[in-house]
Amino acid sequence: MKNQSRQGKMWLLSGVVLIFMFTAFGLLAAGAFAAEKTTITVLSSDDFAAFRKAAIPDFEKANPDIKVNLISVGYDQLHDKIVTALAGGATGFDVIDVDEIWTAEFVEAGFLADVTDRVTAEMKKGIVPAGMNILTYQNRFWGLPMFVDTKFFYYNNDLLAKAGFKTPPQTWAEFVEQSKKLQEKKLVKYATIWGWGQHEGLICDVVSIFPAFGGRFIEPNGKFVVNNPDNVRALQFMVDLLYKYKAADPASITADDRSMLNSFIAGDVAFGLNWSFAWGIIDDPSQSKVAGKVRLALMPGEKKKSASGAGSMGLGIASGSRRKDAAWKFIAFLAERQQQKNQAINYGALPIWQSLYTDPEVQKKHPALAEMSSQLKYAVSRPRLTWYSEFSRVLQLEVHNALTQNKSPKQALDDAQKEIERLAKKYGNK
Amino acid sequence: MEQFKGTRFKRSDWGELRWILPFVLPAFALIALVILYPFGLAMYYSLTDYNLMRPLSRSFVGLGNYLEILRSGYFWDSLWKTTYFTLLSVGLEFVLGLWAAVFLNKKFRGRGFLRALIILPWALPTVVNGMMWQWIFDANYGALNGLLSQLGFIKHYVIWLGEPFMALNSVIVADVWKNFSFIALLLLAGLQTIPAELYEAATMDGASGWRRFWKVTFPLLKPSILVALVLRTIEAFKVFDIIYMMTKGGPADGTQVLSFYIYRESFQFLHLGFGAALSFMVSVGILILAVVYIKGLYTEVEY
Repeated sequence: MKNQSRQGKMWLLSGVVLIFMFTAFGLLAAGAFAAEKTTITVLSSDDFAAFRKAAIPDFEKANPDIKVNLISVGYDQLHDKIVTALAGGATGFDVIDVDEIWTAEFVEAGFLADVTDRVTAEMKKGIVPAGMNILTYQNRFWGLPMFVDTKFFYYNNDLLAKAGFKTPPQTWAEFVEQSKKLQEKKLVKYATIWGWGQHEGLICDVVSIFPAFGGRFIEPNGKFVVNNPDNVRALQFMVDLLYKYKAADPASITADDRSMLNSFIAGDVAFGLNWSFAWGIIDDPSQSKVAGKVRLALMPGEKKKSASGAGSMGLGIASGSRRKDAAWKFIAFLAERQQQKNQAINYGALPIWQSLYTDPEVQKKHPALAEMSSQLKYAVSRPRLTWYSEFSRVLQLEVHNALTQNKSPKQALDDAQKEIERLAKKYGNK
Repeated sequence: MEQFKGTRFKRSDWGELRWILPFVLPAFALIALVILYPFGLAMYYSLTDYNLMRPLSRSFVGLGNYLEILRSGYFWDSLWKTTYFTLLSVGLEFVLGLWAAVFLNKKFRGRGFLRALIILPWALPTVVNGMMWQWIFDANYGALNGLLSQLGFIKHYVIWLGEPFMALNSVIVADVWKNFSFIALLLLAGLQTIPAELYEAATMDGASGWRRFWKVTFPLLKPSILVALVLRTIEAFKVFDIIYMMTKGGPADGTQVLSFYIYRESFQFLHLGFGAALSFMVSVGILILAVVYIKGLYTEVEY
């Protein structure tokens, strides 16, 4: 008798729990249907995330039926975050931030939606080719560029003047000369610091220095020539900067383009390579001790007049997204002339529209448009390979082996060549 | 389990079971879903050339991944680094931890405060610890260089994380600082279970302090030592987060331990099949370590 009543109570309890659960689910479902707004989720790099966030209210005003949820992560985490989120066709993100070196990989993996039909004739005509190219693969479009960027050569004019130099170095040999003088006069302990930790940033500097010495990685016929004599000479130069001329802070080996920027804005070094976003920080007196003293010059050359590693990025639609139309609206909105103008003037980015480079307002208000756009002519892209991550990993390791004096530059690049040839064979030279 | 042996399942047990099963099954299903299923799937992937970049062209390669691992220079290099990291960090943590535990087991003023303090490094999240030591080791602005040069030990700043072998040792220092306190805690708990009479008897018999430690403390502490060493060795063998925070595997692969190699293969290059095979190799390594410890150290303790 007692047992029976206990069972009865259990049934009652289970019933109550079930009813509660169904009600909860029902309410949830009803809530989802009641909201007519489409919410799109954007995964963005921290670079220029401030601009994108600031643009959201304007976009939502123009498109009252769309809500934008923007998530930003540091560049170093971005690739892994995208890959883990999109593997297996997950639909968590609608818009993703794509670095130019990932386009081939992401398209092959099926992460990006083909947007060829959405790109307008005006975009095809008006956007600078250096920008439009970054999300083009196999003659199809996979997104829109958001800014054009390369590595730029920043110098502290104040220090240079004190050392008696009127112009910044035009060749890497001059760079060493000026560095020595700056250090002899005790104006700086080290003339420069590089972001040469073992990461992608190192390769961006490598493609700024190797081509200046006449180097390249791939011949026009597709053959890899990682260990060609010009590359070896360039790498020897990088090693010499650290150990022979002692013109670069030895801490370069652990730095990235953010930590080298900290030394630069503290006024500890006279020269430094960085992206366009750095200008906004260097020229901001609340963050930088050298605001107003820094200028931008063409990257030094050697055999060639100048070279600088390209690093443009753009936005694409995740192939698994169920809100592709809304996602495209947001991308197209950020690419509009007015927004691009705003991004250039207030955030220091280089705009994607050809016409904005001659726009009087942009010319007047962008701090370094003329210098930056003249550098664009010498931009060098990193190799476009579906297995770029692995290519880069081998190069990072071997360049680092040379920079830490584990191997001679020749030995390091010979080893890189061997490993890269093996990978190329494995992936069918694609 | 012993006491259940021989009891037959009786009809009257069914009534009880009928109520127990519905409560147990969801938990069991959950465990199967989050542990057994991924485990089986990973084992299957390890036998394929699954590459997220080419998800459609997945084919069965048998033991191909495992053979490629054994031929890979990266694998042996990172295995050696992981072994070095594990031996040195766990060794130092054990010595420091044992010393701290014995010290904190003595009666003195301020003991409670010190005992609370020693939890601190362990309570710190590894990521925070990694960032903190990255700053301490920073070549230009780091506290360590500042301290050493002010004390006159070094003339030039040392690039702690800039030379491959030095970087590995620097990460070990950061790891030891954080984890010796974990061993100290475990051993302190073990020390407190040793009855005071044993020491009294030993003293009575004329045993010196050193002898008391070796003949009384150490044998009775063995179970705690075993637990501490097994846990720390396994953790050290799969170390990842502190490396990711401090060096990202660099410089020149100087700190590329096994877990970091797996991360690179799986999440940077998207070689899921190869990555899964690597993970199983590491699991086997950890299993061997655990067995060695248990065989070597496990003894029944009787007071």
